[in-house]
Amino acid sequence: MKKVLFFLFLLIFPLLTFAKEEDELKLYFFHGKGCPHCAEEKKFLNNIKKKYSNLKVIKYEVWYDDSNAELLEKIKNEMDVKGTGVPVTVIGDTIILGYGSGTSEKIRRAIEYYQKEEYRDAVSEILAGTYEKRDSNIDSFSKMEEKSDKEMTVKIPIFGKVNLKKVSLITAAVVIGFIDGFNPCAMWVLLFLISILIGMKNRRRMWVLGLTFLFTSALVYMLIMLSWIQVAVKITAIIWIRNLIALIALGGGIFNLYQFLKTKDDSGCQIVDDKKRKKIFKKIRKFTSEKSFFLALLGVMGLAVSINLVELACSAGLPLVFTELLALNHVNSFMKFLYTVIYIIFFLIDDLIIFFIAMFTMRVTGISSKYNKYSHFLGGIIMLLVGLLLLFKPEWLMFQFK
Amino acid sequence: MKVIKISAIWCGACLITNKVWKQLKEKYSFDALELDYDMDEEEVKKYSPGEVLPVFLFYSDNEELGRLTGEVSFDELEKKYLEVNQ
Repeated sequence: MKKVLFFLFLLIFPLLTFAKEEDELKLYFFHGKGCPHCAEEKKFLNNIKKKYSNLKVIKYEVWYDDSNAELLEKIKNEMDVKGTGVPVTVIGDTIILGYGSGTSEKIRRAIEYYQKEEYRDAVSEILAGTYEKRDSNIDSFSKMEEKSDKEMTVKIPIFGKVNLKKVSLITAAVVIGFIDGFNPCAMWVLLFLISILIGMKNRRRMWVLGLTFLFTSALVYMLIMLSWIQVAVKITAIIWIRNLIALIALGGGIFNLYQFLKTKDDSGCQIVDDKKRKKIFKKIRKFTSEKSFFLALLGVMGLAVSINLVELACSAGLPLVFTELLALNHVNSFMKFLYTVIYIIFFLIDDLIIFFIAMFTMRVTGISSKYNKYSHFLGGIIMLLVGLLLLFKPEWLMFQFK
Repeated sequence: MKVIKISAIWCGACLITNKVWKQLKEKYSFDALELDYDMDEEEVKKYSPGEVLPVFLFYSDNEELGRLTGEVSFDELEKKYLEVNQ
């Protein structure tokens, strides 16, 4: 019961902290009836209203209402903004065109900015005819965003200009992927497979089947992560889902630390369920002894797919945390792919080392269980940290520390 | 004195402890029995190995004098061996 109350507290606390009463903040939302991006933003605004009690969303439909369309044109002219289409969002002195990847976070940051900084309701001023054009062609919020982008870039000898956000995400991919690699969930299958492969006389077959197993496993893991990112990008803007992911990360972190403490003084391998183990061993023996090389290859690939799907629940924590990190940072599709590939390469390192040693020495080598314990410990700390930051300081996960 | 090691090919810790097991066998003279958790299933059951591998069991006159579980170092294994062998 205490645990349930604690989790409820974690869920509700951040909502309470943001719920302080402040001056009304108006957000003008210009949309078209039937426009899909507008519908997405509308959903987002409905959600975000719950977080900021002083936020008032004023909607104007512009496709069927000429006066609203005229108003939008007037606002764009006055604010010196070019561009057509909907949705258009105006908050303070900031105008945001369209709604795509990253827009929800930009709107959120603009709301945060105007909560703290001087707020100027440009639309009200335009309606009242009192609007005075800015000195510069850029509003104060966008100026601040540009400045922080510049601050995110540092000069490093040899490497030249380096974007700290990119470096941080690459570092996260390397570190989290490497730690995740030591997760013992599917290691026992690899060791058994290697022991069977070593018993074969055909070295070419050994190499191909072993590498096929490893790379198929990596591919499945990568596809799962990429599909999670796609989902995370869509849902991460919804506060309660983000809080839910935070709670899952916290739960995973606590579980990993519990596992670490539980096995701190013990070491060794937990015996895998007899039925499950025997079934998998039977499959491995069947596939590897298959006379047709093609059928053996297909069998090993099928085994890799099923193992990774079955063991997913066991190893889901760190990939979930990493995909959430990518979703929060709104990296483009190519970079999402690249960061995931980096993660997978480092995830695979320990398996590849074991495989290569076995293939060259013809002896199976294991990894000390102390590394599994450290993996539980470090993985637990990372999950706890990301969970807490998601709840209380999500902007830190976007590498914005101001 | 009889020392039994129960291990499995899929267990990394068992593979790691192969070295200390070999060292013990070289340093002391005793009846060594190695059982594979999967291949010698029926015999392994007799020793109730528990949930963690590897397991080192120390026997004298069919009586269990002690056991060690998990990835042990040579010092730990030797200490236990000498302790039960007194």
